[in-house]
Amino acid sequence: MTITELVRRFFLIDLLEGMWVTFRHQNPKDLVTEQYPMQRPEISERFRGQPRLLKDETGKPLCTACGACALACPEKLIKVASLRDPETKKKVLTEFDYDLSRCMFCGLCEEACSSDALTLSPDYELALYTREGMQLDKTQLEQGVQRKVYER
Amino acid sequence: MIDYILQYLHSSVTPGEAGNIFWEVVYALLVFTGISIGVIFMNWFERKVMAHMQVRIGPMRVGPHGLLQPIADALKLIIKEDLMPANADKIVFWFAPVCVVMTAFCGFIVVPFGRTHAITDMNIGVLFMLGVSSLGVLGVIMAGWASNSHYPLMGSLRSGAQMVSYEIAMSMTVVSAVMMTSMATGTGTLSMIGIVQAQLQQHTWFAFSFFPVGITALGVFSIAMVAETNRAPFDLPEAESELVAGFLTEYSGFRWSLFFLAEYASMMAVSAIATTLWLGGWLRPFPNLLGGRLWDAAFSLVPGITFLALSALCLFYFTRMPRMRAMRADALGLAGFGGVLGLIGLVMLLPGVRERIQDIYWFTLKAGFFMYLYIWYRTTFPRYRFDQLMKIGWKVLLPISIGVVILTALIGVRQELLALVWR
Repeated sequence: MTITELVRRFFLIDLLEGMWVTFRHQNPKDLVTEQYPMQRPEISERFRGQPRLLKDETGKPLCTACGACALACPEKLIKVASLRDPETKKKVLTEFDYDLSRCMFCGLCEEACSSDALTLSPDYELALYTREGMQLDKTQLEQGVQRKVYER
Repeated sequence: MIDYILQYLHSSVTPGEAGNIFWEVVYALLVFTGISIGVIFMNWFERKVMAHMQVRIGPMRVGPHGLLQPIADALKLIIKEDLMPANADKIVFWFAPVCVVMTAFCGFIVVPFGRTHAITDMNIGVLFMLGVSSLGVLGVIMAGWASNSHYPLMGSLRSGAQMVSYEIAMSMTVVSAVMMTSMATGTGTLSMIGIVQAQLQQHTWFAFSFFPVGITALGVFSIAMVAETNRAPFDLPEAESELVAGFLTEYSGFRWSLFFLAEYASMMAVSAIATTLWLGGWLRPFPNLLGGRLWDAAFSLVPGITFLALSALCLFYFTRMPRMRAMRADALGLAGFGGVLGLIGLVMLLPGVRERIQDIYWFTLKAGFFMYLYIWYRTTFPRYRFDQLMKIGWKVLLPISIGVVILTALIGVRQELLALVWR
């Protein structure tokens, strides 16, 4: 044991250094806690939360009803139904059911989508009291689910 | 009757010395309420300071900045079901928390919050406090035994061993401080008030007399007192990873809150001993160096100004509160709290009040430093292993404290002899 080590041991320098670290962290600027309902966290764009069906700038649905998402889904929770438009000979989406209660937010549907219509948005407040609201239909996916906002 | 009550007000001694039973009872009640409020405040303060040291915010919801949290906790504890294990020793189980609380509060009989602000001045004050506070271990062992459960028994045995072994180092350092009291006068004293007056006479706090000796004694005491009150990093009796909650495991509701009260009260008691013995008790900073009427007046303004500053802080944070409907009650509460603090500060500035209040203020400030230290230790240091604890107690603190006693005696005798020679 060298002299410096001995001195450090004797005067409990290591303990004092530790105390200085904890003392320093009392600075209110160091705080990282968010007070959730009042302060909302900033979620990354890449976060996989609530699924949404997007529209283009003119308000036309981007979905081409190809059904690739339904095929890609490992849980088989997406149901796509479509009709062929007799004039344009294109598929038109009639129903899009998404069972959120079975979803594990893997994002494979999002990757499979060729027209960038289906996306997992960063909305994260998905908790419900019952299972009923978990089955999302086409309108809910297009407009986004309006959760109840609690005001005190 | 009224004469009997009023006649004490003209004296300048403690009610115990004056033999005035009415004021003794009043002081006892005041001290009891004061300590209870202190415990409530410490509960909030500890959680807040610990949270900030761990980069959290701590209680925020109940009242502005969580100020009403301890009251909410206390209500919850009182309402909670009070369980008793089926095969518990009923009488001992009932008596254990009572015993712990009684011993924790008894010590405050001799604590001098000021020259006149003590319930009584006992000529064996320090000895009485040490004796009474070490009786607390009896309650702990009773609790562990009566619970009829393994964890509490192990916890209480650990606690017993720990308290007994640290008691010795603690008492040794106390002996060194008591020996210092005999320096100027030739006769030492064990009375708490006498010890503070000795520091006034010797123009120094005992922490700084005989230079490395006094401060070492204080250091040893401030480590031993943490172990003595079973607080982190020496909180092995309550080591939750090993013993669930130690001797508290089977206690719930009001009984548990009594243990909690006793723990904090005994923390305050040992802080009070440390303050009295080494940090000059109720004396303001530099009572001799900065003496005279002007400095007295200046220092007597400090308590009121402190409270006004706290009030200003509250009002500042009131302006910083988020402007939301949900926060309106909290903001108003904070402003009201600031107003109350400001009023107290103004009352403390009144000429009659400020001379009487300043002793208590300085004493509380110094004892509060030790209370802060408790929180600080708790956030910083990991818990010791039991063999390490015993090693520190017997192999490190005890030799140091015995050395301190011997050194105090040697230096003291040398100084006295030198004084005789030079006279």
